[in-house]
Amino acid sequence: MKEGTLSRVQMVTVVALRVLIGWHFLYEGVSKLTADAWSAKGYLLQSRGPLAEVFRWMAADPERLATVDQLNMWGLTLIGLGLILGCFTRLASASGIVVILLFYLCNPPFVGYFYSIPAEGSYLIVNKNLVELAALAVILVTGSGRAAGLDRIIHGLLKKRDRPADS
Amino acid sequence: MAHDDEKDQDGGPGSGLGGKKLDRRDVLLGLSTVPALGLFGEAWRKQRQYDQAQKEAAAEDAPPPPADLEEINVALLGSGAQGQVLLDSMLRIPGLRFRAVCDIWTEYNQKRAVRILKKYKFDVNGYEDHREMLDKEKDLDAVVIATPDFWHAPHTVDCLEAGKHVYCEKEMSNTLEGAQRMVHAARETGKLLQIGHQRRSHPRYLHSYEKLLQEAQLLGRIVTVNGQWNRAVSPDLGWPERYTIPDARLKQYGFKSMPQFRNWRWYKGLGGGPIVDLGSHQIDIYNWFLGANPSHVIASGGLDYHDPATHEWYDTVMTVYEFETAKGPARAYYQTQTTNGSQGYYETFMGDQGTLVISESEAANSGSVYRDPNAPAWDEWVRRGYISAPKLQEQGQKDEDAVLDVRESVSPDEHRIPVVLRDPYHQPHLQNFFDAIRGTATLHCPPEVGYETAVTVLKVNEAIEAKERLSFRPEEFEV
Repeated sequence: MKEGTLSRVQMVTVVALRVLIGWHFLYEGVSKLTADAWSAKGYLLQSRGPLAEVFRWMAADPERLATVDQLNMWGLTLIGLGLILGCFTRLASASGIVVILLFYLCNPPFVGYFYSIPAEGSYLIVNKNLVELAALAVILVTGSGRAAGLDRIIHGLLKKRDRPADS
Repeated sequence: MAHDDEKDQDGGPGSGLGGKKLDRRDVLLGLSTVPALGLFGEAWRKQRQYDQAQKEAAAEDAPPPPADLEEINVALLGSGAQGQVLLDSMLRIPGLRFRAVCDIWTEYNQKRAVRILKKYKFDVNGYEDHREMLDKEKDLDAVVIATPDFWHAPHTVDCLEAGKHVYCEKEMSNTLEGAQRMVHAARETGKLLQIGHQRRSHPRYLHSYEKLLQEAQLLGRIVTVNGQWNRAVSPDLGWPERYTIPDARLKQYGFKSMPQFRNWRWYKGLGGGPIVDLGSHQIDIYNWFLGANPSHVIASGGLDYHDPATHEWYDTVMTVYEFETAKGPARAYYQTQTTNGSQGYYETFMGDQGTLVISESEAANSGSVYRDPNAPAWDEWVRRGYISAPKLQEQGQKDEDAVLDVRESVSPDEHRIPVVLRDPYHQPHLQNFFDAIRGTATLHCPPEVGYETAVTVLKVNEAIEAKERLSFRPEEFEV
């Protein structure tokens, strides 16, 4: 194994992690898209912590809220598809990190904070959002789409076309 | 590793070597995770099937409709927030066929209701104007009306005159003149008119009235009543800018602006404010349980908190009614305020032998009776299942150091009312309406009853304005 590359077993593990996170994102997205009337309003209004005002601001204006809702639903769905298929993997995982960071900051489990969200589990600073965020960071830095994923094909095609001089 | 885009991660052939053509291995690895998406699709399909089955099972919870159940053709007139609540309840009632939805907010409310009904496989048409709907939908049997209060009278009268049965939300009308026209129209057309005081059909209220008050006379003589609906501050209703109703259409239907259209409950001439929106439900129960209409009312109220630029009605009201009941005088207090939701809503009836605390909510103050220590034993009613065995006051909860004054009354034991409504709150009242259409029930809130409540409640706003005790003449309650 060369320095800076992953062994086959390591890469299979990273790809599996990517597909699982993608699955989670995709279902979060499509279940919101297909619900009768989903909105992040309640979640945003329940925000606590240093950025609570920012999240409440997002929910304050119906027009703004509608945009936030659309971005959220479609963002989750597209990121999920990207991660499962290994398509634009870096963009998908970076966007995923931003999205989850927002979820985390909306209700951060800081010392002395207690609220209704999340309703399950016991957390101190670290919660499942933060763990998923860190897992996405692993996906981001390993670029697994080019090992197993559509990125491998896209990358190959682009190279063939754009950089004939390279060979 | 991460920054090294050029390298194929596992050192295989393909992209790592730049210009080389894609080989079979690249394509296979490139597509290797696509089956996961297929698995996802399959799991999602199963989940949706499961959700659908759950929904259908919930609808089937009620006793299965008889095979020969005659279908009733229904239209929803007014599909805003309350229309949606009624629709959710109606979708659980068997034997209804939805034919039309009418709402002036065609871009939003109407579209949403039509979409939901289409999802339930109803072939519904959307209308902006109720007269056009009545002209075109010849097969309608019933119209369910949930429009702003000032539209109730014209909508109800037009529907009755077109030969439809009508369920109309409370408040019956924002004016007594409008309410009278509704009563007359129902009488003249012989069609049914149910007013949406839905507690009149609530099994816990029916049980309390018929079994506890009438049969068992648990409270003895009711002398005082109090009740409240406290509601937390909520921002004015907005709307997505792209769904703004054009001014011309708003004016055509009696609204000055989009904010007024969305927040009509706060405007004079359109609604009646919180005392009418909230109080009306509970003051209706005062009249029902006391078996009388009030003789006098005093009231204090004002726009104490909200912005007068966008609110016209009183946000805070406290009122006292005086009753002459068959057993003697009674006084009934009621308050509604919209600045703090603590303690929620309930009604309390206090007699010389017991106390009844009841609300529509299943969450808080749902239903209890407390036996006064000098009342006859209630063992018989516990045995019959009318009330639960007493929950004895727990000594341990009291502060050991607290000294009880001998003048304090002994706390009575609490008995729960063992009636729980597992359906949406409005479902039994709607069910009663449709049963009455089929001739298997009588209306729990016919227009005459709704009218008495309208007279009782609208007088509060008058009393606040007059700043004096107003009396009701008995003939005021008659149409």
